[in-house]
Amino acid sequence: MTTIDTASDPDTAATTGGPPAVGGSSGGKEPPPTVRDLLRPHLPAFASVVVLQIIGAVAGLAPLLAVVELGRTLLAPGAVDHRHVWFVVAAGVAGLLVRLVFTAASSGIGHLVDGHVQLAFRRLLAERLGRVPIGWFARRRSGELAKVVGDDVSAVHPFIAHAPGDLVAAFVVPLVSLAYLFTVDWRLTLITLAPVVLAVAQVPLMMTPARQREQLEFDSAMGRIADSVVEFVQGIAVVKAYGGSERAHRRFLSAADAFVGTFNRWVHGMSRPAAGMQLALSPPFVLLVVLTGGTLLITGGGLAPADLLPFLLLGLGLTAPVAALGHGFDDLQAAGRAVGRIREVLAVPPLPEPDRPTAPNGHRVELRGVRFGYEDEREGHEGRRHEVLRGIDLTLEPGTVTAVVGPSGSGKSTLVKLLPRFFDPTQGAVLLGGVDLRELGSRELYRTVSFVFQEVTLLRATVAENIALAVPQADRAGHDAVVRAARTAGIHERILELPRGYDSVIGEDAGLSGGEAQRLAVARALLADTPVLVLDEATAFADPATEQAVRRALTSLGGDRTVLVIAHRLETVADADTVVFLADGAVAEQGAPAELLAMDGKFARFWRHRRAAGGAVEGAGAGAGERTTGPDAPRDPDPTTAPRGGETR
Amino acid sequence: MIRTLLRVLGHEYARPVRRTVALMTAAAVAEGLSYALLVPLLRALFGSTPEDAWPWLAAFGAAVAGCAVLRFVSDLSGFRAGTSLLRGMYHRLGDHLARLPIGWFRGGRLGEVSVLASQGVLQAMGVIAHLLAPFVSALVTPLTVLAVLLAFNWQLGLAALAAAPLVAAVQVWTARSMAATDAERHRRDHEATGRVVEYLQAQPVLRAGGHGGERFRLLDDSLRNMRDASRRSTLAALPGSLGLTLVVQAMFSVLLVVGAYLALDGSVGAAEVLAILVLAARCADPLLSLAGIGGRLRAARQELGRLDAVLSTRPLPEPAEPAQPASHGLEFESVSFRHGDRRVLDGLSLSVPQGGRLAVVGPSGAGKSTLLQLVARFYDVEAGAVRMGGVDVRAMRTEDLMARIAIVFQDVYLFDGTIEENVRIGRPGADEAAVRAAASAARLDEVVERLPGGWAAQVGEGGARLSGGERQRVSIARALLKDAPVVLLDEVTSALDPVNEAAVHEGIERLMAGRTVVMVAHRMRTVQRADRVAFLDGGRIVEQGGHDELLRRGGRYAGFWEIAAGMGTGVGVGVASGEG
Repeated sequence: MTTIDTASDPDTAATTGGPPAVGGSSGGKEPPPTVRDLLRPHLPAFASVVVLQIIGAVAGLAPLLAVVELGRTLLAPGAVDHRHVWFVVAAGVAGLLVRLVFTAASSGIGHLVDGHVQLAFRRLLAERLGRVPIGWFARRRSGELAKVVGDDVSAVHPFIAHAPGDLVAAFVVPLVSLAYLFTVDWRLTLITLAPVVLAVAQVPLMMTPARQREQLEFDSAMGRIADSVVEFVQGIAVVKAYGGSERAHRRFLSAADAFVGTFNRWVHGMSRPAAGMQLALSPPFVLLVVLTGGTLLITGGGLAPADLLPFLLLGLGLTAPVAALGHGFDDLQAAGRAVGRIREVLAVPPLPEPDRPTAPNGHRVELRGVRFGYEDEREGHEGRRHEVLRGIDLTLEPGTVTAVVGPSGSGKSTLVKLLPRFFDPTQGAVLLGGVDLRELGSRELYRTVSFVFQEVTLLRATVAENIALAVPQADRAGHDAVVRAARTAGIHERILELPRGYDSVIGEDAGLSGGEAQRLAVARALLADTPVLVLDEATAFADPATEQAVRRALTSLGGDRTVLVIAHRLETVADADTVVFLADGAVAEQGAPAELLAMDGKFARFWRHRRAAGGAVEGAGAGAGERTTGPDAPRDPDPTTAPRGGETR
Repeated sequence: MIRTLLRVLGHEYARPVRRTVALMTAAAVAEGLSYALLVPLLRALFGSTPEDAWPWLAAFGAAVAGCAVLRFVSDLSGFRAGTSLLRGMYHRLGDHLARLPIGWFRGGRLGEVSVLASQGVLQAMGVIAHLLAPFVSALVTPLTVLAVLLAFNWQLGLAALAAAPLVAAVQVWTARSMAATDAERHRRDHEATGRVVEYLQAQPVLRAGGHGGERFRLLDDSLRNMRDASRRSTLAALPGSLGLTLVVQAMFSVLLVVGAYLALDGSVGAAEVLAILVLAARCADPLLSLAGIGGRLRAARQELGRLDAVLSTRPLPEPAEPAQPASHGLEFESVSFRHGDRRVLDGLSLSVPQGGRLAVVGPSGAGKSTLLQLVARFYDVEAGAVRMGGVDVRAMRTEDLMARIAIVFQDVYLFDGTIEENVRIGRPGADEAAVRAAASAARLDEVVERLPGGWAAQVGEGGARLSGGERQRVSIARALLKDAPVVLLDEVTSALDPVNEAAVHEGIERLMAGRTVVMVAHRMRTVQRADRVAFLDGGRIVEQGGHDELLRRGGRYAGFWEIAAGMGTGVGVGVASGEG
């Protein structure tokens, strides 16, 4: 492949043609490999698969030719040359052995290459997904993405393991046979081709608009089944709680019935041409055609009887390409669709990295005229942006705690997600120590900024690994530091109760409750010990012990840190140095809590309302906040396969 | 295989399946028999009077036509049986899922069942429509040809016959050795999928730790395991397909050698030997295709096994003589329950008089939600009993039980449809006025007014177009409309903004009026609505009594709130100074 080729490769074009790169471009490093790049190192292997398969398949003709030669010798008038007969038999047997060895080798190599290629695909996909903006995940189900990495890559199997060998053999062998048969008798060769022509004639009948429409209906009916079963299973608790399994159950069954109906129509439409094709290609029919032609020619004296044999033996093989196309076609189509989905994921522009990362000077955080909008994905609204932040100017001084307050939908959660670069602003900039976040390398960014968001993802790994996860590998802390963080987060005692303490594997040795998981996340942030901390004060802490742990952690931090917190509790607000009241994507009021209360504006009203709703009595329990909903973060209807984005919400 | 299929389907489908198999076998036998005509036909053509071939050719033509008709009829029958089985399978699966205990649908089940119901059923049914015919004909046609060979020449026939047990042995051996590697491979694939999901979900924290672009060990290990498992299964399949090829080719070689020997010997005519070799070639191809078909059958069989496992999961037993409770007090008597290995409830006893309100409080993981779920029979208890009005819930019909309970879940699921449809689920036959009344009592009417489309507004899949608070209001309206004597509340832990919160509390207050209530509470404000409190920890009741009484006692319960209250007080002071 030449350089020009690479540039015109759709994959490469898609990755470099990302969003307008602000500051640095994505150029800096070597462009990531594409599908073709992944296949290139295996070209010799593919070539050997093809060559071995061809040798094997052609050698497979030897025994048939041996029978032909045997016939010629035996049917020839005069004495039979015994030595010649045995030579012919030996050649036939040798051909069989060659075929056995070569096709086995070809198929073995093909499958091994397939394993390598699939691994490389999966690694590439994982690597790419590790670099797309985190906000991108919010709109996708991790179950679906996992399907791309798993099933779709597996679906490529026929392309890699079978297509090169099998398809080539399916065409080469008939071509060789055809050439040979022409040398024997051209008339009978043409007659032998008649079934193939008949079969091919059925193909247009299978591709009529009606058939294609049925195929589309078939696909969409299949999709409806999948949707209705998801709805059925997800809503099963509601379905049962409200007596009888009426609604969703019925919907599933009617989707199933509709599907069966479509399936029936599809089969019915296909059955005639399919049966016609099957008949034309069936061995008895081919033999009948060859024998009819042969009898005509032999009785007419135009053909030596022995010359009929090659047609009886090789003629059947001529139908192979048509049959191979028919068999492999569905698989190949499915593989094509799978490759399409893989390419789609690979084409997602990664979060641009700067060419030459700039180091921040201090850790003051500034937001300058920040605007941000999510792309509206609702039907009929595609392409429009739903603006959530409309021009935010804000400075977070080191050594202060800034509390963001505001009604639900005011853009709080979006605002805090800009700091760890889950998204880049659509306009304006976020600066850290005077440097635009986009000019900071991601390594540097995450060494500076850590975050605790509401939903906690625990990995199926040891407790210690889970806590140490947020610390860059290079400066990975020792066990003591992990324990210290766990202690401060109030989870140390609980961990010691687990069967294998810090070495317990979560999900295997032990399960943690929601509150415990949240405390573990706090320990992560404590261990990361970064100068900038972003916190979504979880609204729904599972128990008071967790709330206490979080508060203790917050107070133990302090010092020179820059802290930004979405505050839901009045006490957090009261303790903050600065309160930012956000309304409708803009800063409505800003100042010290007492100052704002004295102003008696929006914040003061909000405060009074909250106090009335929560009351002083229940203090910590009054955590009324928001669960991000709406276009902000569409609620995920699939709790098991898709609580995606982990801590992003 | 067929037996599993029939067990999964239920035996009412046995007849069409048997009929289809019989037709397919007949078509395959007819094909094999039609080849018998080739021997006299070729003998004539290779002999001195080729004209004698015409009648034989006509006979062969008739036989081919017969075969084609049989094949067409059997294919049609296969498709018919396949589609009616498909429909039956969907219905059977749907009905069965609806009868399984709700507790069964936990964890990874959702994804599993979705895949099974959409693709799994189709793949398993594809056995009848697509795999059975090639399989039967690949097996039966060569066997018939073998019989023909034996009839024409016993020496050659015997030589070919020797291959039959070998082919069978190779098939059986392959199936056995592949079962283990296939299972291993499935497990590895499953594990890798889990890791990928985990990797995607944990992206934020992984990137913070610098695991973003580079390889993340846990994921990479599982991807490599997947590759290794696939390699192992390829290598494991190799001896099987090699063995089959070897046996079939050896058979052909032996026939070639024996045929040549007999022809040179003069004991069998050259024409006959050649005809038999043509027949042998007809035997070899279908036999070789067995390896591929076998692999696809194994895949389908695995899918069938998974369907079988779901269908043989026992639904909640229904009582033979259902009882009806006269009153609606609740009672837990020495209830024990475990999730897997974890003991959730441990000999718990508790009672709520009719019209009483019990708040269940405790640390997370104490078994609070399970308590509610046992009343509604999401699961059955392991030991002890849950009673309603003195009647064991297991002695009631599920419908009767459910008709007496209204549940407001933590996480509200709405069906893709209009708001009204979702409220009506509470009581499908309710009149307009009742629906409106329930909605306004739950303060859902405000939401409806705001929404474009009003009552007919679509809520989206799972209710995604509504906010958390709005979904809660729908679920409360649903419960109000149902008007059941027992109310189970799992406190809304996902926090709401003040407006929604006030509305939801108001709705819940109305819902509780005059009913027996068990509520899981995380907030003191909720607890104060109850007339009794049970403090749960480690699956047992640690303390029980009135809220004030328990606070005075200064035990675990008081300690639990003290954490919160202490913080609250501290803040109260801070706020007071702020305001001052």
